[in-house]
Amino acid sequence: MILINGVMLDSQKINTVLPTLEKQICRTLQKPLLSPLLVIEACDKLAQLVERGTYSDLIDQLCLESQVSPEQVTQVIRMFRKESLLYKLKTELGSNYDKVQSGTPLYEKHPIHKRIMPLGVLFHIAAGNVDGLPVYSVIEGLLAGNINILKLPAVDQSFSLLLLTELIRLEPILAEYIYVFDTLSNDIAAMQRMAKCADAIVVWGGDTATLSVRRLATPNTRIIEWGHKMSFAYITEKGLTEEALAGLAHHMLSTKQLLCSSCQGIFIDTDRITAVHQFCERFLSILDHASENYPPITIGMQAQLTLLLYNQELTARADNKRIYKGKRCNITASADQKLEVSFAHGNCWVKALPRENILSRLHRYKGYLQTVGLLCGNDEWEVLSERLLRAGATRITPVGDMSRMLCGETHDGDYPLRRYTKIVEY
Amino acid sequence: MDYRKRLFTHRKLYDHTGTETLFVKAAKCNVAFHRKHCSEYAVILADRRFRFKQMKTIDDLYKIPVLPTLYFKSHRIHSIPEKKMLIKATSSGTKGKKSHIGFDAKGLFYGAFMVLRTASFHKLFSLKPVNYILLGYKPDKNNHTVISKTAFGATFFAPAIRRTYALKPSPEGYQLDLLGLKKALLRYSRQPVPVRLIGFPSYLYFFLTELKKAGLQLHLPKSSMVLLGGGWKQFYTEKVEKDVLYALIEEVLGIKEYNVKEFFGAVEHPIIYCDCKNHHFHVPVYSRVIIRDVNTLLPVENGKVGLVNFLTPMVESMPLTSVMTDDLGILHDGKECGCGLTAPYFEILGRVGVTDIKTCAAGAAELLGGAQS
Repeated sequence: MILINGVMLDSQKINTVLPTLEKQICRTLQKPLLSPLLVIEACDKLAQLVERGTYSDLIDQLCLESQVSPEQVTQVIRMFRKESLLYKLKTELGSNYDKVQSGTPLYEKHPIHKRIMPLGVLFHIAAGNVDGLPVYSVIEGLLAGNINILKLPAVDQSFSLLLLTELIRLEPILAEYIYVFDTLSNDIAAMQRMAKCADAIVVWGGDTATLSVRRLATPNTRIIEWGHKMSFAYITEKGLTEEALAGLAHHMLSTKQLLCSSCQGIFIDTDRITAVHQFCERFLSILDHASENYPPITIGMQAQLTLLLYNQELTARADNKRIYKGKRCNITASADQKLEVSFAHGNCWVKALPRENILSRLHRYKGYLQTVGLLCGNDEWEVLSERLLRAGATRITPVGDMSRMLCGETHDGDYPLRRYTKIVEY
Repeated sequence: MDYRKRLFTHRKLYDHTGTETLFVKAAKCNVAFHRKHCSEYAVILADRRFRFKQMKTIDDLYKIPVLPTLYFKSHRIHSIPEKKMLIKATSSGTKGKKSHIGFDAKGLFYGAFMVLRTASFHKLFSLKPVNYILLGYKPDKNNHTVISKTAFGATFFAPAIRRTYALKPSPEGYQLDLLGLKKALLRYSRQPVPVRLIGFPSYLYFFLTELKKAGLQLHLPKSSMVLLGGGWKQFYTEKVEKDVLYALIEEVLGIKEYNVKEFFGAVEHPIIYCDCKNHHFHVPVYSRVIIRDVNTLLPVENGKVGLVNFLTPMVESMPLTSVMTDDLGILHDGKECGCGLTAPYFEILGRVGVTDIKTCAAGAAELLGGAQS
């Protein structure tokens, strides 16, 4: 389905909609700027409806399919509330986000005026790894005052459409600021037409996605990239407690290790491989025990996981790896210090990385690092977090909170609203 | 005794009962050859504690350590020097990485027996010249995909008058030439000789949908055929049921369902599977199929879903004796089919993880990247 001016149309209508898209957008651009307060009010109403259980059928279904957890739903409701979004707006754009700033520049006689304005039109190419992410991306675009064209990920066709339709129903003015298409990524011609209308393309995804988007965009279209980040835990002997490790296990299993902020593996502050092996034995029982609280994965995912593990086993000896097999989870102890993507779903790697080598080993992954879950003694926290941040990480959290969502938080070290706006002078 | 020769020259294509002992012997010889000539394989056999004396009957085949196709995408191992390999081929690399496979002369020679026997059994040979439309790549010195080679090979089942390709090499990569294809098909439809369309089911479906939209309804000459192979790959989201495709073929081309043949093959398992009249892939004598449990990798009984493990002693170039694809499938008892063949048949349900994979790293990248692969 596609969503135009608040009306849901059949996907086949794309060929009649796209030729008039730019004309419609220009008509909207002629109107006064969209007030973020309108957007905030609509989101708040939506959050209240979700909280009251208006969409409980759909959300229960998503929880049942273990696509989202009830905790994630609560978190999302909180992010959509009026106070959260106002806080976000002011944190990211400043308290005077809607004011004209006037002043005489140094060495000049006449004053000039500056103000924050939206970029204009954002084309969001959303990833499907987090339900609701496409909607949140559009809401950030709206908060900054932009018109938003959203290309849905193939795995999310109904959830985002429902939320955005509801948002428009609650605030009909938003209708001309939200366009949603379920176009397939291989329909390059349609993607190019959408990209042509945009001032910026917001792409959520990895290097391949970004490269593909660069091919779509004309040189005068800005590309705003989010994603392909990796996160890991860093653990010292002083910080080791059963409770903290259980927190890490629950974090891995609840996010299925699919988010950018999900822990892919664990670096231990040691240079002894025996310490790594000891840790693996200890953590495996905790991880396996925690997994009893989560539903089993689908047969397709299980088959993929078994294949990946078996393939790893075939060369484990040559690759200097030892695999610790649990009932549902597996841990791979590895002698190298590479930052790698895990097999997910309760499968991680553990490697030795003495603190002296953090910068020399991790700096090569700059641009890919996101959250580090740090488990250490209180007196080690400052020096280790500083070192990890200098290596390229953008967020240090306790190991159980690696995927927390906080109001006014940066995304990969950036404030999204700042990237979706510009400062104009006149 | 050359058991491989005896197996590949066996007269009855689907005679499983008559070839059980022979197959086990051929498989053991094949494993022994690779153990002697491929050090990496020897290490794997030792690590997995493989013993020849465990291999007594056909039910012991699962004990041969299986190599996943995934393994061949990151390891180039071989049992004869690469320069001695006559044909080198790659998988289509839908997800980026490709397997590089090579074949030995003797293996290819036996493979020729298999092709002849299969094509003859399924009545693919004809002396009548035909026009070919290939819904795939035009062979090119830079394209080593096995699908382009087998599609080209299939144009020798009947003498070719002309071959027209859907994907042609250009300086910008392969370009889909739908217009050229349509013109050729219209031209061929007016000629008195049969037409054979060969290639990916996805391309055929897209092509026929376009023709249908344009209002075309052709009646291609009698004994025209459609030969399909290669699966839906990156177009899996647009996959249609077989009967929908067959109905479309009949509607647009006038080719009856019994003249639509589908093939299955994988570069890491060079056995040709051709579907029966009920469109099932029965396993010929040259191979055996084991479905393995998705958790334990132990064999499951027929009718249960699992990972698909193919076994054949056909080649000595590389240890391809027992390989496991990244497909989920089911093996059925032959008699369930009803076509008359008693050899078991397999059904491929789809790629592992494909339908439900959603990762930060792979998500959007893969979806977008799919257009380029």
